[in-house]
Amino acid sequence: MWEVIKSVLAAFFGVQNERQRHRDFQHGKPVAFVAAGIALAVVLVVVVAAVAIVAAR
Amino acid sequence: MRKSLAWMMGAGSFLGLASSTLANGWNMPVGVTDVSREIYSLHMTIFWICVVIGIVVFGVMFYSLFRYRRSRGAKSANFHENTSVEVVWTAIPLLILVGMALPATATLKRMYDPSEAELDVMVTGQQWRWHYEYLGEDVSFTSSLSTPRSQVNGEEEKDENYLLDVDEPLVLPVGRKVRFLMTSDDVIHSWWVPDLAVKQDSIPGFVNENWVRIEEPGIYRGQCAELCGKDHAFMPIVVRAVEADEFDTWLAERQEAAAAEASGVDREWGMDELMERGEQVYGSICATCHQPDGSGAEPTFPALAGNEALLNDLDRHIDVVLNGVSGTPMAAYRGNLNPVELAAVITYERNAWGNESGDAVQPSEIQALLE
Repeated sequence: MWEVIKSVLAAFFGVQNERQRHRDFQHGKPVAFVAAGIALAVVLVVVVAAVAIVAAR
Repeated sequence: MRKSLAWMMGAGSFLGLASSTLANGWNMPVGVTDVSREIYSLHMTIFWICVVIGIVVFGVMFYSLFRYRRSRGAKSANFHENTSVEVVWTAIPLLILVGMALPATATLKRMYDPSEAELDVMVTGQQWRWHYEYLGEDVSFTSSLSTPRSQVNGEEEKDENYLLDVDEPLVLPVGRKVRFLMTSDDVIHSWWVPDLAVKQDSIPGFVNENWVRIEEPGIYRGQCAELCGKDHAFMPIVVRAVEADEFDTWLAERQEAAAAEASGVDREWGMDELMERGEQVYGSICATCHQPDGSGAEPTFPALAGNEALLNDLDRHIDVVLNGVSGTPMAAYRGNLNPVELAAVITYERNAWGNESGDAVQPSEIQALLE
């Protein structure tokens, strides 16, 4: 679970190392990555909106 | 040593050239408002950030190309990834972008805050002129190009403000916050005056807001910045910024003149004064399409000189000028011109350039039709 989140975060940032990539492609389930991606995208939107609301005060 | 000195001199003369070029009118103007200065300094900050990044990136690249060339026995490295380098070169641009976005957003917020304005001006784009209305002050007028056609056609030398001159500039007070409400009667135009850092689309059916607080009296020129048809280049903007008390005097004079014009509706007008007034209105409003000599530009803009259909039907003529012709570029002028101007221009069109209808249309007749 933590490994999946770490990989998705790395994808958000745009940098992933070769070792983790191999591991993800051998062990991970695609559904887990898609779900984590959607969930973290929602988190990103909420965080950006919160920052914008605080900054606009 | 000598080499690096030459490099430094080269770089120095490049920077010197760059800044003198910037001062010579190639750069955007600093402008005469708080916001315009903020925009200018943002622009310069971002420009210099780009220059530094460019120098660093291309410097590293050219140095590497030169220092590690094959003729000196360089062997290419063969590795796939380096996570820490990748993290660094992703994080640095992210920080630079956020660093640029913060001041830019602060300025944008200021630009889009037209609250607490002391004067509201409705700006309406029309093909191809601007109409200004000082809301709640009973003053409104149309501002048309005043550069003579002879200069456009090359029969006369072009003057300094070629295509940047109007018959009636927009007069604004210095030191007061003025809110603009921008809209359009026909197609999308854009009201752009670089020195005021205002560039706002005027869109039919929408009212866009913008504002300005001018700090120095002066003449500021601009242009329509949204391609709007045949005479897009012929609808300049001139803003005359004056001291606040001078503005108040001007506004009072305009209000008096408007009141006098309104009272002119009730009296009987003579042919000569109608023709005189009509020629003025025709030159400022109608001549761009129907031509100063009434010859038009077929097929889009019909000739008015010798137009029998028009001359034989006064009611139709009045209807066309007041209400426009749908499906053609002919706009409705009932809202733009007052009854005196409408009566005068119709009279003029019926009696100029060899048209001899003899009709003198009275402002009171038009007034009755407008009600």
